[in-house]
Amino acid sequence: MKNLIWKCVNTVRKKAALLLLTVLATQSLYALDYPEAGDFAKGSKAWSENCARCHNMRNPTDLKDGLTSLFHMRVRAGLTGQETRDIVTFLKGVNTRSRNGSVSNAEVKASVNESQDKLLGKGIYENNCMACHSADGRGGLPSVPDFTRKNGRLTKKDSELLSNIINGYQSSGSLMAMPPRGGNSQLSDADLNAALKYIKASFSE
Amino acid sequence: MKTNKLASTIMFTVTAFSVSAAALAEPSVEELAERLERMQQEMDQLRQQLKKSATKEEVQVIKKDVAKAGERLQADNLVHITGYADVGYTDSESEDGSFNVGTFAPIFHFQYRDLVMLESELEFTVGDDGKTETNLEYLTIDWFINDYMVLVGGKFLSPIGQFRQNFHPSWINKLPSAPPGFGHDGAAPVSDVGLQLRGGFPIGAVRANYAVYLSNGPELIAEFEDGEFELDGVEAEGFGSDGDGEKVMGGRLGIIPFAGFELGLSAASGKATVTSIEDGDSSVLNGEGERDYDVIGADFNWQYKAFNLRGEYVETEVGADTGSGTAASEGATWETWYTQGAYRFPQSKWELVARYTDFDSPHNSQDQQQWSIGANYLFTNSFIGKLAYEFNDGQTGSDANQDALLLQMAYGF
Repeated sequence: MKNLIWKCVNTVRKKAALLLLTVLATQSLYALDYPEAGDFAKGSKAWSENCARCHNMRNPTDLKDGLTSLFHMRVRAGLTGQETRDIVTFLKGVNTRSRNGSVSNAEVKASVNESQDKLLGKGIYENNCMACHSADGRGGLPSVPDFTRKNGRLTKKDSELLSNIINGYQSSGSLMAMPPRGGNSQLSDADLNAALKYIKASFSE
Repeated sequence: MKTNKLASTIMFTVTAFSVSAAALAEPSVEELAERLERMQQEMDQLRQQLKKSATKEEVQVIKKDVAKAGERLQADNLVHITGYADVGYTDSESEDGSFNVGTFAPIFHFQYRDLVMLESELEFTVGDDGKTETNLEYLTIDWFINDYMVLVGGKFLSPIGQFRQNFHPSWINKLPSAPPGFGHDGAAPVSDVGLQLRGGFPIGAVRANYAVYLSNGPELIAEFEDGEFELDGVEAEGFGSDGDGEKVMGGRLGIIPFAGFELGLSAASGKATVTSIEDGDSSVLNGEGERDYDVIGADFNWQYKAFNLRGEYVETEVGADTGSGTAASEGATWETWYTQGAYRFPQSKWELVARYTDFDSPHNSQDQQQWSIGANYLFTNSFIGKLAYEFNDGQTGSDANQDALLLQMAYGF
C-alpha cells in the first residue's frame, strides 16, 4: 500500500513542480504599504488561537518591537499573510498608550470599523474580549478567569472592575496581564462600561 | 447784584450747551467714508487671518501628528535577535549527578520589509570534556511570495512532525529532555538542506498549514557486527552536499478544524546511501548502492484551557542494498511515538507534565520505553524551572535502561 502511495506521488511530482512554478510566476505583487494595516479584532483572535498551539502565551507587551518575531512565526506556524498583519495591528494597538483616555492611536484606525463606535456591550465583548475570555465567559486560555464561577471575579465592585479594564490588570499567579482597554486604545470609557454591563448580565449569576 | 448772577448763570448754561451740542454733532460724509474704508481694511485683514487659521478637523489631524511625532518610523531593514538557553543538572542511575550547560541558541533575523527574511539559529553546547561545540541549527532565506506561500531555502528544521520544527526549544518543551527517537540520532529527521515551500490557508472555517520540500536527504551509517555489516543509523541532520545525487521529497499537512486542535500528517521519500561505518574505517566503503528511504508521521496537539495534550508518531524505513557494496545489508526500520499531557493549575505558576514514549530501533540496545513525569514552575511564560524524573525501560545494562533525575532552567528570550 505504501509503495502504491509513493508510486502515485512520483507520478505527479513533475506535474506538481510545474504547477508550482506557474503559481510562483503569477505572484508578483508585494505590499506597497509597509507594514500594511490589519484588523485589530481578528488579530486579537489569531493571537490567542495560534500562539498557545506550541508554547505558553506571552504578554502582548513582550513583543513591543515584534514585527520580525511575527514574520518568524508566520513561517513556523503556517500563518497567512493577512493573519500576520492582523496580529501586527493588534500588538501595535496593545502597545500604544492611550492618552487621557481618549482616542490617540492613529495606527490602528484602519483596523477598527467605523461602525465599531455604535457597537456596545456584546459587540465590544465579541470583538475585543472574547478571544481570551471565550464566548461563554469561562476563559479560553490558561490563567484567564472564569466569569461564571461562584464568588469569582465578577463579585468585585463595578468601579473596581471598570478600573481594571481601563488600566489593565494582572491577577496574582497569572502569567499574562490583560492589557489596558483590552488592548484597544480606541475604546472609550463608555464603551468599556457597556462591555462590562454585558459581561455581568451574561455571565454572573 | 442778583441780576448779574442770573445773567452769568444763563451765559454759562448757553455756552455749555453750545459746546456739548457741537461735540455731538453728526459726522460729515467724508468722515463716514473714511471710517468705512478703515472698517473695510480691518475686515479684509480678519478674512486673511481666518483663511490662515486651522479648521477643527485640521486641528484634530495636527493633534494626531503631534501624538505620533515621538514614535519611530518603521524601518525597511530590521535586525532582530531572539533565541533560548538552558542550564541544568542530571543524575542518572549509571552516572554521578552533574551540572550541565544544555544549550545557548541565539536566533538572528534580518528582514527587508515584508519581502524577505534571513533566519539563522546557532547552537552552542558544552561537551563532557569542557569543549564548546558550535552548530548551525538552521539557516534559511525566506521569500514571502504572497499571503499563502513562503519559499524557504537553505538548511531548515525538518517539517516532519511537530517536535523538531516547533517544540524542541527548551523554553517550549515542557520536559527537560526530548522524547527518545526525536533527538539527534533517532527515528525522526532533524534537519535538511534544500528548498521548502510552506504557508497557511483557510478552507471555510477550517484552517490549514502545509510544508513541502526537496532536499539533499540523509546519509546512512553502517556497523560491522558478528562478521557482517548491518545498518546502524540514519543521519538526517542537513548535509551540505548530496553524495548519491538522489534527492528526498517530503512535507507535512496540518489541519486545524477548530481553535486549539491541530492534526498533522507527514511523509518523505527518496534515496539514501551508506557513507560511514560506526567505530570503523569508512574509507573501505566501496560501491554502496542507493537504498529506499521513506518516512511517515502523524501528530496532534490539543489545547483546552489549562490542559494540553499532544502526541506524535514517526517511522523511518530504509530499504535493503542487495548489490555488491561493501556494506550491503538488509533494510531497517526506526519507529517512535510519544503522548504528553500537561496541566497548568488555575491562577498559579505551577504546571504538571507526564509523557510516555516508545522507541523501537533495529538494535535492541537502543530500544526504550520511557515514562517521564515533571513539575514546572513558570517564573514568566518564557522563563521556566523544570524538575522531572524519567523511568527508562530498555535492554538491561544499556544506557536506555537508566532512570534519571533532571533539573533544568530554561529561558526563551
